[in-house]
Amino acid sequence: MMEVLSFFFNSLVFPGLLFASLIGLLYAGIDRKVTGHMQHRIGPPIWQEYLDVGKLMGKEDITPSAAQSLVFNVAPLIALGAVTTVMLLLPVNSAQPALTAVADLIVIIYLLNIPAICLMLGGYSSGGPFGSVGAARYVVQLFSYEFVFILAIIAVIARVGSLDLTAVVGYQAQRGWLILDLRLIPALIAMIISAQGKLMRVPFDIPEAETEIVHGALTEYSGPKLAIWRIVYNIETLVVAGFIAALFLGGPVAYTIGGFQIPGVADFLIKTLIIVLITTILRNIMARLRIDQALKFYWTFAAFLAVLSLMLVLVVP
Amino acid sequence: MTFVVPVGPQHPMLKEPEFFRFEVKGEEIVGVDIRLGYAHRGIEEALSRRSYKHNVYLCERICGICNVVHSTTYCQTVEQLAGVEPPERAKYIRAILMELERIHSHLLWLGVAAHQIGFNTLFMLAWRDREYVMDLRELISGGRVHSAMNTIGGVRRDVRSEHVPTMLRGLDKLEQSARYYTDLWGSDRTILARCTNVGVLSKDDAIKFCAVGPLARASDVKVDIRKDDPYGAYGALSFNVITEQEGDVWAKGMVRLREILESIKIVRQALKELPSGPVRTPVELKIPPNETVERTEAPRGELIYYIRSNGTDTPERVRVRTPTYGNFASMKSMFAGGTVAEIPIVMWSIDPCFGCNDRITLVDSHTGKARVVSFDELRRWKK
Repeated sequence: MMEVLSFFFNSLVFPGLLFASLIGLLYAGIDRKVTGHMQHRIGPPIWQEYLDVGKLMGKEDITPSAAQSLVFNVAPLIALGAVTTVMLLLPVNSAQPALTAVADLIVIIYLLNIPAICLMLGGYSSGGPFGSVGAARYVVQLFSYEFVFILAIIAVIARVGSLDLTAVVGYQAQRGWLILDLRLIPALIAMIISAQGKLMRVPFDIPEAETEIVHGALTEYSGPKLAIWRIVYNIETLVVAGFIAALFLGGPVAYTIGGFQIPGVADFLIKTLIIVLITTILRNIMARLRIDQALKFYWTFAAFLAVLSLMLVLVVP
Repeated sequence: MTFVVPVGPQHPMLKEPEFFRFEVKGEEIVGVDIRLGYAHRGIEEALSRRSYKHNVYLCERICGICNVVHSTTYCQTVEQLAGVEPPERAKYIRAILMELERIHSHLLWLGVAAHQIGFNTLFMLAWRDREYVMDLRELISGGRVHSAMNTIGGVRRDVRSEHVPTMLRGLDKLEQSARYYTDLWGSDRTILARCTNVGVLSKDDAIKFCAVGPLARASDVKVDIRKDDPYGAYGALSFNVITEQEGDVWAKGMVRLREILESIKIVRQALKELPSGPVRTPVELKIPPNETVERTEAPRGELIYYIRSNGTDTPERVRVRTPTYGNFASMKSMFAGGTVAEIPIVMWSIDPCFGCNDRITLVDSHTGKARVVSFDELRRWKK
């Protein structure tokens, strides 16, 4: 009985849906505020994202008549389920994730791709030209960043010698953070570059380039479905940041300062916020690339960094 | 498989309504069809119903950004018809205003161009620095955008001598930021990646399609009405005509950015050599039958006004040819072989101003199914 209750608590409240969406939306607000200041604007208040999503939730639910309505309607929900599940598999409060089933890095990589695939399905099924172009671009982008993303993870796996994220975090607790290992620095850079592509941030916001294809795959979405997409996107940001934090920054660590026990989740929030801010800064100092340039960049420079890191881990003792 | 990407009449890329129908194969553009006329306001007809004085006001409203150059060209044309010469000081003040307008227009272009390639930070910063030049315009004319300075026979307000130091300080700030953006445009990797070898207009094509303004100058065609056919005070002011060789989007941006620096130089010189005297000559506005053409260099290129008078205080016909209209012909060759990602920046590289362009309805005839304004509609609109 307790197990069932705790499963529901984990998936719906902490660290599942409620926690992840609240923090994800907050990070999006911080991202917008920092962007505003970097662009010499005041920017929206930090809680703007809650207001936006709340307003979208209250709007009329429209499915375009040209859309394949089943796929179109279900895609955001599947994506939400996938990113929330990743949240359960990440170490949030301690090295031990909320869902202690046998799940390793491969499951996380797989689940992290589901939102991307849902976005493509949503775009293709929306029945609009911008959705199709956006989805087509996202397919190309997926094949560009995913290779680098996986290769960077493999470098970490080769270093730690385990496919288990708990083991990776535990390893770092004993031997120091992997970011301090010079051999893994190229992998970290490659990871952040591919996260930029995964999260569709400048210079890789190609699939949703506003001035070119309106909003890409999401052009036809509106109202509650768009709100769910926003939540998915913001949770994905948090999840990718948390994933990088677990791989390279030692995951959540509980500290004791002056007799006070500071829970690991505070550490998790600080580390993820730093990673989110790095991606925010990157997205504000560059122009958007073309899709062919992005593909070339990933398969040459970023892939080179990841392979270099893997070779160093394997060759240098 | 080709499919159609409709751009416009409502699209985030376009700041004004116009319709572009791109036939796309994957990412590659295989065909483009341009259909104009969505922002038609019937201004030319309205111009021939109002008196010469009223029309100054209306001409300024043809285009928001290049309002001074529109009203100046109109006033110059009427002055020529009436056979009066505005005082020297008025000519200099007009030149100052027109150059400030050029700076303002080019900075605006830079901002939107940055937005088109997804560089929103540069967009915001360029528009922040555009505030400097708007402040200067407000100082002289009282209006940040619409100056309402011109009148037939001169200008309505004088530049006061105590404003000159403030102007010079503002110009220094502007020069600093313009230099920064020029460096940035030439060195930022992502800008270079997006803008070089994109939307190339060769020199031959530029001449063949009669490109005007910065578009032609970026293709190494040295046309500048300020130099070729000096009007107003420009004969006495020294400046260079900026050209670039490449003809791509990057060169078009570079021409505009370097023109900002050149314009700052012109304003400085004009402020220094500002002749004293009155700013306005009285004009008798009952003009005998005659016709004349006047052309000026607007921020976007050559602007032509044709006016025919008929002895009353109202012109019989006013015809305006705006630079954007002159540049549409070049557009198709710029899009040829491009990708969807290039549409916004290439389109913006001609600095289109549909508001001033659409005074007549154009129908692209070779698609066959063009939407034509019916003759009845046209007649109703004429009455």
